[in-house]
Amino acid sequence: MNARIEVDGETVSAPRGAMLTAALIAAGRWVLRAHPVTGTPRGPLCGMGVCLECEVTVDGRPATRACLTRVTDGMRVWTGTGGSAS
Amino acid sequence: MTGAPVSPDACDVAVVGGGPAGLTAARRLAAAGLSVTVLDEQPELGGQYYRRPSAAVIERGGDHRPAGGRLIGAVRDAGADCRTDTSVWGVADDGRTLLLSGPAGVATLTARYLIIATGAYERVIPFPGWELPGVTTVGFAQHLAAGDGIRVGERVLLAGSGPFLLPVACSLLDLGVHVVGIAEAGTPYRLSGRGLLTAASFPARLAEFARYVARLARHRVPLWQDRVVARADASPAGDHVASVTLAATGTPATPVASYAVDALCVGIGFRPQSEIARLLGCSLSGDPWSGDLLPVTDPTGRAGQSDVYLAGEARGIGGAGRAAADGEVVAAAILDREGRPGGDRRAAARQRRHARFAGHNARLYPAAAELTRRLTAALPDDVHVCRCEAVTAGQVRAAAAVAAAPQHGGADLGAVRALTRAGMGPCQGRECQATVAALCGAVAEPAGMARMPARPVPVADIAQLAGTPVASTPEVTG
Amino acid sequence: MSAATADVLVVGAGILGAATAYHLARRGLRVTVAERGAANREGSGTTAGNLHVQAMHTRRPGQEVPVDSERLVPLQKAASDRWAKVSEEIGADIGLQRAGGLMVAETEDQVHELKVKAGWEAAAGLDTEVLDGDSARRMLPSLGPSVLAATWCAADGYANPLLVTQSYLTAAQRLGATVRTFCPVTGLQRRGSGWRASTTGGDLDAAAVVNVAGPWASQVAAMAGIELRLTPVAIQMHATVRAPALLPHLVQHIGEGLSVKQVSAGTVLIGGGWPSAPINLDGRTQASVASMAGNLAQAIRVLPPLAGLRLLRTWAGPLAATPDEMPVIGAVPGAPGMFLAAGTYAFTFAPLWSESLAALVAGENPPTEISDLGPERLLKGENLATPH
Repeated sequence: MNARIEVDGETVSAPRGAMLTAALIAAGRWVLRAHPVTGTPRGPLCGMGVCLECEVTVDGRPATRACLTRVTDGMRVWTGTGGSAS
Repeated sequence: MTGAPVSPDACDVAVVGGGPAGLTAARRLAAAGLSVTVLDEQPELGGQYYRRPSAAVIERGGDHRPAGGRLIGAVRDAGADCRTDTSVWGVADDGRTLLLSGPAGVATLTARYLIIATGAYERVIPFPGWELPGVTTVGFAQHLAAGDGIRVGERVLLAGSGPFLLPVACSLLDLGVHVVGIAEAGTPYRLSGRGLLTAASFPARLAEFARYVARLARHRVPLWQDRVVARADASPAGDHVASVTLAATGTPATPVASYAVDALCVGIGFRPQSEIARLLGCSLSGDPWSGDLLPVTDPTGRAGQSDVYLAGEARGIGGAGRAAADGEVVAAAILDREGRPGGDRRAAARQRRHARFAGHNARLYPAAAELTRRLTAALPDDVHVCRCEAVTAGQVRAAAAVAAAPQHGGADLGAVRALTRAGMGPCQGRECQATVAALCGAVAEPAGMARMPARPVPVADIAQLAGTPVASTPEVTG
Repeated sequence: MSAATADVLVVGAGILGAATAYHLARRGLRVTVAERGAANREGSGTTAGNLHVQAMHTRRPGQEVPVDSERLVPLQKAASDRWAKVSEEIGADIGLQRAGGLMVAETEDQVHELKVKAGWEAAAGLDTEVLDGDSARRMLPSLGPSVLAATWCAADGYANPLLVTQSYLTAAQRLGATVRTFCPVTGLQRRGSGWRASTTGGDLDAAAVVNVAGPWASQVAAMAGIELRLTPVAIQMHATVRAPALLPHLVQHIGEGLSVKQVSAGTVLIGGGWPSAPINLDGRTQASVASMAGNLAQAIRVLPPLAGLRLLRTWAGPLAATPDEMPVIGAVPGAPGMFLAAGTYAFTFAPLWSESLAALVAGENPPTEISDLGPERLLKGENLATPH
């Protein structure tokens, strides 16, 4: 039984209890944000919560590390920019 | 939210980190009747080595480390309070109360003994293209494969140094990945006196190693030695890695061969995560081989005469076996101090044996500090060495020239950081500090002050502490 | 080996030492700067970097004696005018931002204080305006509902403390100054009409000594037999993870130490003089969790959107406090050729203090009236009625 999650508004099927990074990669989504300084596409590096490259917004909570988040049915994920003042 | 009461919490033993070391200690101490709280920022216990597979993988019968599940169950059955999704970010002004942050906000924990088992993280040295999506650590590929049954890519090259590359390559083969090859920076697999001695002294390890090599050979996976990544290049869309170019370790800027890939997994051993120990006042000493700061402890892992104990990779890299033995040794030491029976007296001997193997094995591979120096010296100026703040090698070199402090051993790292912002981003320097130190000619990182928070913490959470006992100022300095 | 020589020895490579070395070198004097550690590591490198233009009239938590803000206002104006020219003078980017500042009041008493200080500011030729709470919130929607009024000063701003000192040092070196880091001064003795300094890098003879060693200034003075009442204290700063633009102006508080600004990198810096853990002059000083909690709770109250940001860094920085909380600058009595500058707001006053010290060393009058801020009042056991 798979979980159905929403990524940037699009429904994606994810294995039950998968780590969110795994679910995103399985769905072909490697680019999780645009770098706040350079704007270049960024994806996960370390997979264990240290590099902070995989931060996405999950159910309204920004800066959530996808590599430390297990998918739940109905989870809503927003990838995107980290934002900067300028 | 400001001023809302924060319920303090207290226990006999706080274990920071739910991997092999922390779990082993927690089980022993909880079973002996002490009140134990285990804290881990991951959603479940297990750390890296015992990271639990997803429900989907377990259903398919794919639990590759059932011992981890059993150990976690034993810890809970013994009555330990397990708090996951909980990050330890600081130490209160009393020098021992831990400051925590989790989904319910901020919390504190005061314990009579503190076991810091915060593990290690993978070392990555920058190369042109290392920021491309699809470039990951070796450990991430392993977690995807073993924990989720997901392939990091269809055509994958692994590079770096260390024994970890081989079992992970085999995990990828298990999923049907085309492993393009393994690039090892050193020459550990050539016949050498040291290699033979290590193999002869630890036959079980030799057998394990031989199984990996045999599998790789059966699948015709090349195992190149004396090879490093010279550069990685992007797909035409520019948003994913598409090829990797290797070079000889001695001449990292001279391309030798290129391969088409859709994932590049890199890792050069591991570095201890010692921040919490530092915040608790544990002293550190530079290790010239790795270039890392290692906590100074007695053989049981105790930091000086304090109530702080280090166990596992946070104490020094030595593998899961030594980490588990560390957990038993720390538990035995604490039980001794408590006058309680139940400690594992044979653990110290196991600990020494594991440490001996780890030491022998490590020396088959190039010293991390030396490899870091060599590779960073060859970095083109335009490569970002600090990913978070997009600081280039050229900017760091220029700042090192301005902040030269030859009497102090290389350039002043604090000044280089201030001038470039390298290390001032969200990862708090974890990914770049070794590289920056190497570029500045510092042999080992300076014993810099540990700073709170050890992880980013919501401002609102910290504000919740205002007016609570842990945030009271006994005297005000004017 | 014979001693090195210089016209002036500057002790301390914080912003005061760096800027003074620059001004001295510009006058053609041979300058050596001796710094015990790394340049800009201590107070100058850990400060918020605010340029205080509007009157401060506030107090660090735990500060017992209030600053005579009225007295400082004309000096702040003189410093502010000079800050506008620093970058061009020394040919370097110092991260100067003058997006203006709001000093807020949350009680009626505090509102009254804003109005009183507006008079001082007007008298000094500073352009400030007291806004009611709603007008302040129209200007800065992030301000919380507890703000009753705020003084707006368009000239308030900040420079980047991580850049300024080094820029001054580089400019000084270009003009011939010698800068020696990791070179603590270990002794100071009269020698002829000048001074002989012992340092870990050898002896140095200089006609004049400028003591701008911050919290170590009293230690340095003691080497010359001068006992000064300067107390090292440490305060702390907090930095968030970079955030979307939400704070275009500096925000301060009239009653309690609070300073909040968002720098160009997106980071929000929160400070205000909250005390860190007890100062450690031999190593690094730790931050205090009590101050962290208090300062951040206060910041959220005044600027509620900050609640959603994440704290990334805290650090402590030392400063030398004087008994009357006023800055000190001038010739040191009983030590001919020795000059001192220290105390609070040294970052704001740096371009003015450094120009003044260079003038004093050269035997000229300083550009502004500072004779009431001289070191004589800090001498231990001083009988102010006795002339030197």
